[in-house]
Amino acid sequence: MSLTDRIARGLEAGWKVTDGATLTQNQTHEADVVIVGTGAGGGTTAEILAKAGLSVILVEEGRLYHQKDFKMNELDAYASLYQEGMSRVTKDGAIAILQGRCVGGSTTVNWTSSFRTPAPTLNHWASRFGLDDLTPAAMKPWFDGREQRHNIEPWLADPNVNNDILRQGCEALGWSWEVIPRNVKGCWNLGYCGVGCPTNAKQGALTTTIPGALDNNARLFHGLRADKLVMSEDNISHLQASAMAADGVTPSGVTVDLKARHFVVAASAIGSPGLLLRSDIPDPHDRIGKRTFLHPVNATIAEMPDTVDPYYGAPQSIYSDEFNFSQGVDGPAGFKLEVPPLHPAMSAGVVPGHGEQQIHDLSKLPRLNSVIALLRDGFHPDSTGGTVSLRDDGSPILDYPVSDYLWKGLKDAFYKMAEIQFAAGARKVRLMHLDSPWYSSWAEAKAGIDNLAMEPHRVRLFTAHQMGGCGMGRNPEESVVNSFGEHHHVANLSVHDASIFPTSIGANPQLSVYALAARNSTRLAQKLGS
Amino acid sequence: MSESLSRSVQTDLSDTAMDRRSFLRTGLGGAMFLGTVSVTAGLSGCAIAPAGRDYPMPGAMDQSYEFQFLTRDDIVLFQALLPAMVGPGLTEEPVVRRQQIQATIERIDAGIHQFGPANQKELRGLFDLLNFGLTRVTVARVWSSWENASTQSVDAFLERWRTSGIGLFNNGYIALTKVSNVAFYGHEDHWHLSGYPGPPSWAMDALPQFKDNA
Repeated sequence: MSLTDRIARGLEAGWKVTDGATLTQNQTHEADVVIVGTGAGGGTTAEILAKAGLSVILVEEGRLYHQKDFKMNELDAYASLYQEGMSRVTKDGAIAILQGRCVGGSTTVNWTSSFRTPAPTLNHWASRFGLDDLTPAAMKPWFDGREQRHNIEPWLADPNVNNDILRQGCEALGWSWEVIPRNVKGCWNLGYCGVGCPTNAKQGALTTTIPGALDNNARLFHGLRADKLVMSEDNISHLQASAMAADGVTPSGVTVDLKARHFVVAASAIGSPGLLLRSDIPDPHDRIGKRTFLHPVNATIAEMPDTVDPYYGAPQSIYSDEFNFSQGVDGPAGFKLEVPPLHPAMSAGVVPGHGEQQIHDLSKLPRLNSVIALLRDGFHPDSTGGTVSLRDDGSPILDYPVSDYLWKGLKDAFYKMAEIQFAAGARKVRLMHLDSPWYSSWAEAKAGIDNLAMEPHRVRLFTAHQMGGCGMGRNPEESVVNSFGEHHHVANLSVHDASIFPTSIGANPQLSVYALAARNSTRLAQKLGS
Repeated sequence: MSESLSRSVQTDLSDTAMDRRSFLRTGLGGAMFLGTVSVTAGLSGCAIAPAGRDYPMPGAMDQSYEFQFLTRDDIVLFQALLPAMVGPGLTEEPVVRRQQIQATIERIDAGIHQFGPANQKELRGLFDLLNFGLTRVTVARVWSSWENASTQSVDAFLERWRTSGIGLFNNGYIALTKVSNVAFYGHEDHWHLSGYPGPPSWAMDALPQFKDNA
């Protein structure tokens, strides 16, 4: 059953899907609603609005890939499915950003971890940003609904060894651990979620809400880049977009104008502020692009005595929140502990080195485990995140200075990760840091971390979670949209993605985006339908 | 390059070199510096156009790949870098070794094409800095041309940039190693070096996209 390719079947059945690369002349189209982006937010919005009987046009800059393209091959997947061919980084190059760029957005390439927005985060939003309609109790029905829609439940099979090492380490140290809820149906437990699910088991936007929208007469343009929302008096009149050639990166010169009554922007925490900035959307308090957050991630690798095969099996099934909110929601930087899958290209890009040492390190791959810490940013006065601005060519860039507050949390995470790995029986541990040797004991690692330079570039930093930049709040002086994602100043503009989060959230964000987009789209459908 | 242009570039760069450390410390200074190099590199006759099908790969078996980003000079640069970068993973047998290097450089080019204009511009600056003789000597401190650079001297250069206290050099090191390591170790031909067995064959046998007619 999981083998059913909903996309292939829908295309055969006559879905209205247009590949921008096939367009040869400029054109104009019109719908009730134009949605920019087809990820967690855009897909959810499209399905709900289309089912409510509204005409919908979806716009996606990346291309449409589905089962026929998902061949468990890293190099092809990174080049085609990820932003900037997997080379996206923050402005100074210090944080590598893993982000989807294809129909389904990051949900097509994520590792399927599906957490509700943590209660401390929602409560903090209520007290700090006046978002008291988003309490855990108020959001519960939306989480329930989306968990059903995306088949989200805790992973029932045994964790793979890579994840079990995190469990064993936490268990040995008396630290809490839990099983990760995943959005899969009939999962084969292969381990290739990050390069496009080869079996259609992953219940991301690509296999759920996008087909749901297209079944209900929505139109999808992929390979079409949203350039600019054009204002006419107080409202947006149309979206200007550029078709991309079949390589996915070169504009073909063909332009498309899309007119609508309402526009929903769901182009990610980097793409959405970028589009709003390019469009000169009214921003009297200069908020667009500000307070953009990542979960900065640092990592350690461990050489285990026995086979780990970290490339096989559900990539994420165990996590620990022992240090996430333990020092208070707005105390020192907390972090969530998880493990990443390790395939050869990813490992070669993440483990820094060259020559003899590099081949020696990589040759251990079958016995390597890795632990990652996802830092929670944006809750403390000293943790204000980054800023999205535009490059000369109009593309968005995220400036993300790593604050002393974050460095402290990252160092703390290095200690905890190394300690977990040794407690789980690691022979050696290496930090993903240019200066780190292999440590042979926890005592040696501890002494090493004590003296480690916590500096950009030397500490290897990554992220797969982008949030904020069009933050929601009650006060227009410090936010871009209200708690329904409605823009404070432009009546026919909504934002339905992770860019509206006023802080990072302290968990993998896809379910938070699904739930909030479902809530806000249900309201939007009522407004537009009446 | 003409003598007067050469002199003016030299003056320009030696002024810069006076305070190179602090100048390179900031990303902005670095970007400006790299920009200057890119312009002068073009004026001085460095290759500035993608190599297309015209590239210096002596004895290459297959010239069908068309380079979209790397210039002839970049290709020479990577021919020098790869033996230090992934050296122990390359075969000794000269013909196979050349093919391994050629195929890896082609994958680097194909990968960078997907990076898009903004990151390509950053890499252009980095590659020009390394290709332009004056900055190769003063900034990378590699004395001979890349064509003649020994693997030891290339390794020493990589090691200097890895251990440097200047973030911009660390960043350059990461950029060079990342594109090289991913293109090399990530490819099926070299999976055995990391011990990665590849996707499970039982799954490939069962999935429609791996069938011949898929």
